[in-house]
Order: sequence, then C-alpha cells, then structure tokens
Amino acid sequence: MAKTVLGGIEVEIDEDGFIQEPEKWNQAIAEDLAKLEQAYPMSDEHWKVVNYLRDYYLKYEIAPPIRMLVKQTGFDLKKIYQLFPSGPAKGACKIAGLPKPTGCV
Amino acid sequence: MDILDLGKDIDVLINIEPEDLIPLPYPYDDPANEPLIKKLTDDQKKRYEASLDGVIAIGIPKPTTKEEEETFVRRFLSGLEKLLSLENNWTFLQPLYHSLEYCVKCQLCNDACPAYIASGRKEIYRPTYRPEILRRIINKYIKKKHPSLLKLTGSDIELNWQLVARLGELAYRCTLCRKCAQVCPLGVDNGLISHEIRKIFSQEMGIAPKELHESGTMQQLKTGSSTGITPKALANIIEFMEEEIEEKTGKKIKIPVDKEGADILLIHNAGEFISWPENTMAFAIIFDAAHIDWTLSSDLAGYDAVNYGVWYDDIQLARIARRHAEIARALKVKKINVGECGHAHKAMIVVADRVLTGELNIPRESALPILADIVLNDRIKLDPSRNNFPVTLHDPCNMVRLMGIVEPQRQILRKICPQFREMEPHGVDNYCCGGGSGFAIMQSMNFPDWRSVVSGRIKLKQILEVFQDVISVDTKKYVCAPCSNCKGQIRDLFAFYNVFERCNILYGGLVELIVNAMVDIKKPFIEWEWR
Repeated sequence: MAKTVLGGIEVEIDEDGFIQEPEKWNQAIAEDLAKLEQAYPMSDEHWKVVNYLRDYYLKYEIAPPIRMLVKQTGFDLKKIYQLFPSGPAKGACKIAGLPKPTGCV
Repeated sequence: MDILDLGKDIDVLINIEPEDLIPLPYPYDDPANEPLIKKLTDDQKKRYEASLDGVIAIGIPKPTTKEEEETFVRRFLSGLEKLLSLENNWTFLQPLYHSLEYCVKCQLCNDACPAYIASGRKEIYRPTYRPEILRRIINKYIKKKHPSLLKLTGSDIELNWQLVARLGELAYRCTLCRKCAQVCPLGVDNGLISHEIRKIFSQEMGIAPKELHESGTMQQLKTGSSTGITPKALANIIEFMEEEIEEKTGKKIKIPVDKEGADILLIHNAGEFISWPENTMAFAIIFDAAHIDWTLSSDLAGYDAVNYGVWYDDIQLARIARRHAEIARALKVKKINVGECGHAHKAMIVVADRVLTGELNIPRESALPILADIVLNDRIKLDPSRNNFPVTLHDPCNMVRLMGIVEPQRQILRKICPQFREMEPHGVDNYCCGGGSGFAIMQSMNFPDWRSVVSGRIKLKQILEVFQDVISVDTKKYVCAPCSNCKGQIRDLFAFYNVFERCNILYGGLVELIVNAMVDIKKPFIEWEWR
C-alpha cells in the first residue's frame, strides 16, 4: 500500500488511487483527487454527485446502484461521464472517498 | 519460449505488440489505431512480479532476501505435493491426474484457446505450456526422476522463485473456459491445471488476487456479498427496484423476500443489483406476471449467488456453497434457481455437488428453463415486433459447455427477437467473453487492458462479424449475454474500443428482452443508453 499527500495530509491509497482511510476524507482531499481524474475545478454539479455518493456510503457502507445515482441527482449517465470522465465508479466514487467497487459490478 | 528460460532473471519474457494480434473486422481493422496495454510504472514493477508479459494479475510481492525466495519455492513444492494427494485434494485429484498423465501433446487444443490465438500464438499462452511446466516440476522435484533421464528426454527444469512466480501469474492468463478440454480427444483438461496451480498459491501460499479473495470470498462471508451489499443496503435497493418497476411499467409489484416455503429461491449475482438492476427488476416482472411462487433471500450471502472460490480455492468454495444451501433449507424452499450468472451455475449447481451431502443437497437449477417455459408456453403475452432490431447471443461457457444448457435461451430469442442471429462459433463451441474465471472483476493496474486486448479479442471479433452488414451507427444492435460476469467483460471491452459510440451495439441480459416484448407494458423496457 502506498502513501501519498492529498489535501495537505498523508493518506494511504491503493494501486489504483482509491483512498484506504475513508474517515480521513474531506473537501480538500476530494479536490486533489478530482485533479487526478480530470474533474477539476469542481462545480456545484460535481459536488452534488460527490455528496450524494458520500451520504449514501455513510448510511449503507456501499456505493448506490448507478441507476439510483442517476435518479437522485437528476443527471443522466452521459452527464455523469461529462463531469467525471473516468466514470461513476473509477471517477466519482474515488473522489467521494469511497473504497474501490468490488464484486461483479 | 523454452521452458528452461522461464526461470531466467530477465525483465520480461514477452511483450504484446499490436502487430502480433489477430486482426479485427471493420471499423477496427487498422492496427495503427489499436489501443495499447498500459505500461506499468517503475514503482509497480519494482514491488510486484511482472516479468511474464509486463502485465500484473495477482500482484505477487517480490521477495527481498534469498531466504524469502527459498521459502517461496519451498511452500510451492509443499502445496504441489498436497495437490497430488487424495486426502488433501479429493475434490479434483482424479481429473488432475488424468490431465497430467494422458496429454500426448497433439496440440489440437491450441486453436480452441482464445488467449493463445488472439495474442498471435504467443508460446507462453499455449494451452499445453502451463501443464508441461507443472509436469516437469513434478517429475524432477516430487517423483525425483533421475536428472540424466530428464535431460535425455528434453524435459528438464530448474526451479527458482522467479519461475514459480511467473507460473502463478500464468495461471491467470487462462480464463478456465475449458474449450481446450472439449476438443481434446483424450479429455485432458488444461483449464483445470490452471485452476489447480491457483489453488496451490491460495491454499498453501496465501496468494490470490485481492478482488477474488480479500474483497471477494472473504467479504462475501463477512458482509453477505462480494459487492459489499449488506442486508440493510439490500432492503434499500429492493425498495428502489419496486419504485423503478412502477415508474417504468406502471405495475405495482411487491418483491417477495424471505418467503418461507416458496417454490423457488431465486439467487442473483449481487453485481446485478448495483450495475444492472434492470435485470433483477425484469426477473421480478416476469415471475410476477407468470404467477411463479418465488422469493429472494435477505440472509447473509443468500442474495449473492457468486462463489469466487470456484476460481482459486476449494475451501472458500465449500464455505460459500454450504452457506447457500443452509439458507435455502432454513427457508424451506423447494429449490434454488440461479439467475443470469454463469460461474454461479458452475459453483452452486455443478461443483457444489462434491461438498453438499445429505439434507444440504437440495435441488439447484438454472433459471433459464423456467424462462423458456414461460415464454414458449405463452404464460405471458409477448409481442416480438417490440424487439425488432438485430440481436445476437453470447454463450456463457459455464452454461453451455459445462452444463449443456444451450437451447432454452435460443428458443426464447427465436420467439421474441425477429432479427436474432447466431455468432460463429456458438453453443457448446462458443468462445469465452475473455472475462472468465474472475478476470472480469480484476480491475487493478493494467490487467483490464490485457483482457480487452488479448483474452476478449476473439469475442469482440465475433460480435463485429455477426453485425458486419448492419455495423453503422444507424442501426441499433443488441448483444444478449445472460451472465453478469460476461456483461461486465463486454462492457469493459466495448468501453476500451468505444464500440457503443462507433457501432451502436448495446449489451444486456436475456430477461430484459423478454420484458421489452411484454404487451401490457407501454414504454420500451430497454433504454438505449450506455451503462
């Protein structure tokens, strides 16, 4: 496991850049991750997606179904890919500090 | 690649160059535009074993001392010895023994291997290459045959940690599709040998891809699903599915959960709930309309049919298989039906027979024949003209080749898809999607690129070929893949080559097409957008 500096603090990340300590996540970390995922500067629309993912994760310990994300944010998948070019999982979830998606997803 | 070179201390044994790969049809017929496999960073190469082909599947940490190197080899040999003993490997010893002893190296299996052919016939991917390494190690280090005899017959080998590590990675360049076993005149199963090598690494050396073990079987046993879905999250997702069904179809359906004594316990691959909930919704719509007495389970692991143990570890396999059977027994259902998941078919219906005995050996079946019964016997009203676009079928290896479930899915498609067309070859002779045996979920470093460029290449070729006459974006086309794993692989393959944008080919499951044709649903169920 590698360590890196994000948002001014040292954070552990996995091979693919997902942070390993979700409790350390904050806005500054999100913005630094967004720079790596071509989603910077972050607009209100970016934050709407990121905050929704974050809240869902804190409640259910997992990312929501993509379909639920689309419905709850009102953004279609095309829009989500525009905001997060690396996609909802590898982009948006990573920036929101969620662990890397696992299983047959 | 001479097997004697396999232990050499060189950076990388082979490189995969675009010009070596088999050509793809239009519009991917220019090798100059072939997307490349990402190069690993120096840091990754320093930390992990990557000297086979410059690709990392497992991420074996490199030993740092001579002692660590020796321990690595010693543990491998100890695992190999166990693999060859009945008390330690009663599950697979017989077919392993048969495959090791009976191969006459006629090489008939070569043309059956999707990775070997697609790579431009790289020697290390040849289906007989891995088994030969193992055979030589056994002859020299386990059976202790005389060295001069081995030299004389050209079957010598020199064991070191590098060779063992490369063999471990090499066991993850085979999708266990078992097309090689099918064409072998002697029934030798070279896919099984890859599986057995993986078992040594996991069961004896504690080495397995993180996605299969730590976040796979371990997570499933702990939280209920390899996706991380807990019973609490499941309840939320089911509620969401019910809302969505009503919105999309106007039908108010209560999805049955933990219904005691139901005829059928339906278990999906839980990845469907996250990535393709329209599949699990479609099952609910069809079963409701056909008045099937069914239920889902909300018990730990009862809502996730997957059993990644089937790819790399018999002990994990047994733990999960027992869990599934115990849940079905506690619910007093008549049988388990597995949704659209090929590996769950293999693990739960076929391989679990070796570990589920007595009362736990409850009936376990595929959901496909039930769907065929519903569609063919007009138990729901369907209008095929709703599916009037070109459709082809991808056959999941475990359903067709392993289990012989070939016709139900075709009978359905022939009835409800007027433009259904078969890719070649198909049925039991199909090619793997390239994502089998865990590959589709192994998403780390540059492995996803390898499975798009190499192991999935033949599947992409077949799909493009079958739609060649309607390849332009003006015609929407659908690849039906009744398996979550195959869907994940086809999604990644299509994204890698931008197939949806360039050719307007969508992928999805079988039940979605059935619901799309239901006459009492006004709006099209299939939404023509990328996911």
